[in-house]
Amino acid sequence: MRRTLVRWVMGLCCVLVAPAVLQSAQFAGQALVPPPPAMDFTLQASDGSEFKLSQQRGKVVLLSFGYTFCPDVCPTTLMELSQVRARLGDAAKRVQMAFITLDPERDTPERLGIYTKAFDPTFIGLTGSAEQLAQVRTMYGVIAEKEAVAGTSAGYLIAHSAYTYVIDPEGRLRVLFPFGLSTEEMADDIKQLLRS
Amino acid sequence: MRFTHAVGVPIVMCGLVVIGQTSAGHIGHRHTTIQLENAWARRAPSMVQGGQSSQGRGAMTAGNGAAYVTISNHGSEADALLSASADVATTAELHATVEQDGKMVMRPLPKFDVPAGGKLEMKPGGYHIMLLGLKQDLKPGETLNVGLSFEKAGQMSVEAPVK
Repeated sequence: MRRTLVRWVMGLCCVLVAPAVLQSAQFAGQALVPPPPAMDFTLQASDGSEFKLSQQRGKVVLLSFGYTFCPDVCPTTLMELSQVRARLGDAAKRVQMAFITLDPERDTPERLGIYTKAFDPTFIGLTGSAEQLAQVRTMYGVIAEKEAVAGTSAGYLIAHSAYTYVIDPEGRLRVLFPFGLSTEEMADDIKQLLRS
Repeated sequence: MRFTHAVGVPIVMCGLVVIGQTSAGHIGHRHTTIQLENAWARRAPSMVQGGQSSQGRGAMTAGNGAAYVTISNHGSEADALLSASADVATTAELHATVEQDGKMVMRPLPKFDVPAGGKLEMKPGGYHIMLLGLKQDLKPGETLNVGLSFEKAGQMSVEAPVK
């Protein structure tokens, strides 16, 4: 399963993002070599402010895409990223996590705020118009499909890719964390980015 | 279907998961060979103002959560988990997260098979009990009572600490 994931992301990055994608020995996550500049976007933050990615320079930014109705994958990611911040101690001040909704119909800014803060008070939920969000998904190669699923009262679910995109303090997309990486590995990768 | 191979267990996609009674905690069959271990639930906001829903629920739809249990079958007969329940949720469903074409997809299942002498381990990114319509926040330090209804072992329950 993991191998398929790796192949998929490597294929995708070759097409969309990078001149070359190599598995680096340095990082536990999937390193992008050479790292492309993280494509800039502006979205609405759950606290009502505007979130512009390029204004986060100096911090490691963790981007995760999901939706608040997601009971398994998205909250696991958020819980783990909160544990990662805890592992970083003081350095966590230089880490900004942003959760970008795949479900703007149901995820209001208020809902996103309550959701992300339940995991970590520093996490930000981001939303925007359907077009803005689609554009950001394209920039980062996120796949998301709304699907009506029989046998659940959840209404619709969203099948989606589940990477955390790690942007370094210089604004370059450096590493992708696949779902299932340990919090220790993620924290170590982030420490490296904060040091360099 | 491709995802059946990914999980290694036959997945039947049709069929509604029947919700067990809310009177979880009552063990009906004592001669069971089913053992429940490592139960836990993930922290989750109810999405309701003040963390309590009752009648005062606003425009916001209640949040969802997930609980995980490892089920071991020490008997010589296969058993199956047919449904789950938890007082804190309006509905509990048996779901599996599977990877399909680079996406994580959730599938409701009519039952979780637990083979004789085998076990079924629920975990993030795999089998889980989806808790829909949370009536209160699930906060670390709290404990949920999760009712599990088995085909042969009958009704069982387990305490699932919130992490």
